[in-house]
Amino acid sequence: MSNPKVELHIAGYGVITLELDQDKAPKTVANFLSYVSKGHYDNTVFHRVIPGFMVQGGGFEPGMNQKPTDAPVENEANNGLKNKNYTVAMARTQAPHSASAQFFINVADNEFLNHTAPSAQGWGYAVFGKVIGGTDVVDRIKAVPTGRKGFHDDVPKDDVVIEKAVVV
Amino acid sequence: MARPALPRFQELQAPGSWHTLDFISDLHLQAAEPATFEAWRRYMGSTPADAVFILGDLFEVWVGDDHAQQPGFHADCGAVLQAASLRTPVFFMHGNRDFLVGDGFLRACGVTPLADPAVLGFAGQRWLLTHGDALCLADADYLQFRGEVRQPAWQLEFLTRPLAQRQAIARGLREQSEARKRSGVPYPDLDGPAVAEWLGAADARVMIHGHTHRPAEHGVEGGRQRIVLSDWDAAAQPPRQQALRLTRDGFRRVALD
Repeated sequence: MSNPKVELHIAGYGVITLELDQDKAPKTVANFLSYVSKGHYDNTVFHRVIPGFMVQGGGFEPGMNQKPTDAPVENEANNGLKNKNYTVAMARTQAPHSASAQFFINVADNEFLNHTAPSAQGWGYAVFGKVIGGTDVVDRIKAVPTGRKGFHDDVPKDDVVIEKAVVV
Repeated sequence: MARPALPRFQELQAPGSWHTLDFISDLHLQAAEPATFEAWRRYMGSTPADAVFILGDLFEVWVGDDHAQQPGFHADCGAVLQAASLRTPVFFMHGNRDFLVGDGFLRACGVTPLADPAVLGFAGQRWLLTHGDALCLADADYLQFRGEVRQPAWQLEFLTRPLAQRQAIARGLREQSEARKRSGVPYPDLDGPAVAEWLGAADARVMIHGHTHRPAEHGVEGGRQRIVLSDWDAAAQPPRQQALRLTRDGFRRVALD
């Protein structure tokens, strides 16, 4: 069976196509597809953009309103996938198994985010797919000007909006 | 990414009588985390080290030395430092949370301020000590904020405000930090080329730092090394309360009771 693919349509930027690794990250992929299919990501923003590191989104509407999420998903960071450039991984709080909807696209090889030990400090961040189309779109997003907005750092000065996310 | 200008490195030479040095950081002491305070108090009262180096973020927040003069949590922390400094020399470096701890408080506790960065001569080697936040170059917004709040003028303006107002600002900052944690991390790591550049400028082979809460040993080009300290959380399962203990034979991580 071929891996599922998801398109992120970014207003004014273009389309990012993600290939999801169903074999290595089955629970994370199922969780992500569930949010896609119910339209959770439609009209959310990339709210945290740090060039040389990652671009993070999927949790906030424009205006930095946080969207409600489902129960957190088990952290599959021990699946052997690495946080390499243009891979996609789940964001989370400091608790290892706390990821829900927010994800990030690595825009560098972030080795220090990989799983090293089953501890709070060593769990790492679960990679569950990679960008297979629209890396130029990712490159343009990571270059946008950012600043402080309310409680948040590194917020794009102009919203970078995911108009819709669709399974293809 | 713009590379900031190289800092000045404070020089410090360990006396020949020192054999064992401890390094701790990122305890984030606060009244709401009594278990971590207790673990730290026990540690400070019992460590066999000839000197203790605190490399930033001992305190979760600090709104001014005057606050610690009133009975309360920070005064209790000061008493622990004072008692420890009678047993063994204690060195204190600022972190990104407790950058407002003043020389006055430290002096009253018998603690020696340590600049960030500093170079320690020990066991025939030079050890580069830093909190680490200044090297997280990817976090440009934070570095801009850091540049502002480390200005003497900014600090003077802040510290002359009424205490209640400063405490309100601190509460806001804590809510901001909590919101950041809830909204999902990861955080960037130290910039590799900048680490190599600092080590070169300091003529040191090993850097010891905290800040990232990701304890590890990383190789740096040229056979050099970067050692990352653990944060503390005595209420976590398993608890995290650890010192890095350095002797002439090398270093080890000591889990504390």
